[in-house]
Amino acid sequence: MTPLIEVEGLSLSYRTAGGEVSAVREVSVRADAGEVLGIVGESGSGKSTLASAMIRLNGVNARVTGGSVRYRGQDVLALAHEDMRALRGSKIAMVFQDPMTAFNPVLTIGNQLLDFQHNRKASRSDKTARATDVLERVGIADAAAVMNRYPHELSGGMRQRVAIAAALAMDPDVLIADEPTTALDVTMEAQIIHLLRALRADFGGAIIIVTHHLGVIAELADRVAVMYAGEVVEDGPVDAIFHDARHPYTQALLACDPAQLAVGEAELPTIAGSLPDLTALTGGCAFAPRCARALPVCATRPPRVRLGQGRSALCHRVAA
Amino acid sequence: MTAALRLSAVSVDLAQSGGLVPFLGRPRRLAILHDVSLTVQAGTTLALVGESGSGKTTLARAVAGLQPISAGSIETSSSAGGAAVRGSDLSLMFQDATASLSPRMRIGDLVTEPFVIARQPMTDRAGKAAELLAGVGLPADFAHRYPHELSGGQARRVCVARALALTPALVIADEPTAGLDVSVQAEILNLMTDIQRRLGLAYLIITHNLALVRHVAGRIAVLYLGRIVEEGPTARVFADPAHPYTASLIAAEPLPDPRRRRHDLAIKGEIPSILRRPSGCEFHTRCPRAEALCRTTAPLLRAIAPDRLARCHFAMTET
Repeated sequence: MTPLIEVEGLSLSYRTAGGEVSAVREVSVRADAGEVLGIVGESGSGKSTLASAMIRLNGVNARVTGGSVRYRGQDVLALAHEDMRALRGSKIAMVFQDPMTAFNPVLTIGNQLLDFQHNRKASRSDKTARATDVLERVGIADAAAVMNRYPHELSGGMRQRVAIAAALAMDPDVLIADEPTTALDVTMEAQIIHLLRALRADFGGAIIIVTHHLGVIAELADRVAVMYAGEVVEDGPVDAIFHDARHPYTQALLACDPAQLAVGEAELPTIAGSLPDLTALTGGCAFAPRCARALPVCATRPPRVRLGQGRSALCHRVAA
Repeated sequence: MTAALRLSAVSVDLAQSGGLVPFLGRPRRLAILHDVSLTVQAGTTLALVGESGSGKTTLARAVAGLQPISAGSIETSSSAGGAAVRGSDLSLMFQDATASLSPRMRIGDLVTEPFVIARQPMTDRAGKAAELLAGVGLPADFAHRYPHELSGGQARRVCVARALALTPALVIADEPTAGLDVSVQAEILNLMTDIQRRLGLAYLIITHNLALVRHVAGRIAVLYLGRIVEEGPTARVFADPAHPYTASLIAAEPLPDPRRRRHDLAIKGEIPSILRRPSGCEFHTRCPRAEALCRTTAPLLRAIAPDRLARCHFAMTET
């Protein structure tokens, strides 16, 4: 079976005044129909760069230095601009972190939901019907009234629902959500998680959730890719990642989530040190300087150890 | 034990503006905070939780003297009845660390600025800056940097150093870990706990991150539409929440364990607008256990167990 979206050996760098930043290096991930792929990592891990690369929204200073992104077997990176624009939104849609800035403040929600369908050959009344329909699908009770509102008249949670509705308006196969709950209260976060789970059941496409929040990944994802300093350091089924993590970084990350600890622990575990400089990588394991289990061999390039059942870890210290 | 902060029946009203108000004579008063009483003991941490719009930040601003109160009183240990002096009696850590540092000042000047504002003599400003930076685990050469050269975690440390400069008895921290990665979050929390132990200061932490509350706060107060709906020792409240709102907040938190996924929704709907407060118990519109009484009669904040308060007709009491 061809995966809906497949990233293979993707490397991407940004040209900056400080030099070439290798933001994503040899990353391979895939998402099949009906599946939720979670991409988790801290700031600077390259998770948002990877998500943007899937829809080719990386900005002018980005340069792909290797690998491919394929949608239904078709190389997205090789598409002409026009073809990419036709694909974007209609086949691959994206929901951004900040629901406050995702909309134009001077147009009504309804107007914008019609705009998003500009590639659809349909009458205005069809488009309106579709817009109302997607709003209802994301749990907005009074869809017809919301159509006439402006973005500032909606709460953050409502706006994020509308952003998801907007992404669904063209009936895409792939929905990429970059930190969809980060700007929300815990109660709204739970509701968006609930919504995404319900969508997954009847949407049939692939959902890709990019977040730093381990709880969101555990609640939603089927498979998980853990990123560190531009690389996928471990990937596998969600249960394996949370209950049998093999990469020292995944283990450390799970250990320092405050939600993971018992009440009143005096000292919370941390990951000492900081991210390596992505403009001057040594070629060895990027996590080695912060890793408690590092050996001299870790100064050389780590192997990708296959652990069976679609699991792998990028580490010298993990045994197959 | 002395109280670092005592709020007695504090209310904050704001005049509603805009719309037809100018034509209707007396502006309507909107109650943002209503009859809030709280005590933070010296050397301890109280967490104030609730959704956006619950009045957490207004309460913090009132304590810091940035928001006039319409009723009640606020006392701090050092203010002796008078208004607390920002900086020396209490200090604030703002939610957006980077934005709260002036982009045109160097870090060394920023951390020592409280002395200048308070007109306190400082013989060796560079030495003082180095000392304050060392206290939060930053090297002395950071004094020459500008805020934009810092990472989120480092900016947060600078804010801690600035808040502690005049050794206040109380620090108000608004979402102290917002926007930080988990590994950095833990570092900041450890630093704050460590400083508390060293200096015996009290924290009032404002957050909606319950995982954080569990680890750093001895007591928790839950706000809903400007009223305290539950208050008590954190461990007991988490183990056995008395108010359905508290229970919903705890249940809504995503767990980092795929084997314990929640399939039902802990809490439906959104926090109502303060312009249209529900009748009776203000939580009844979202409460899974609401009954007829809740729609008509507002419950009082009452003791439901030793050292625990809840504002609910059907509060679950510890057995």
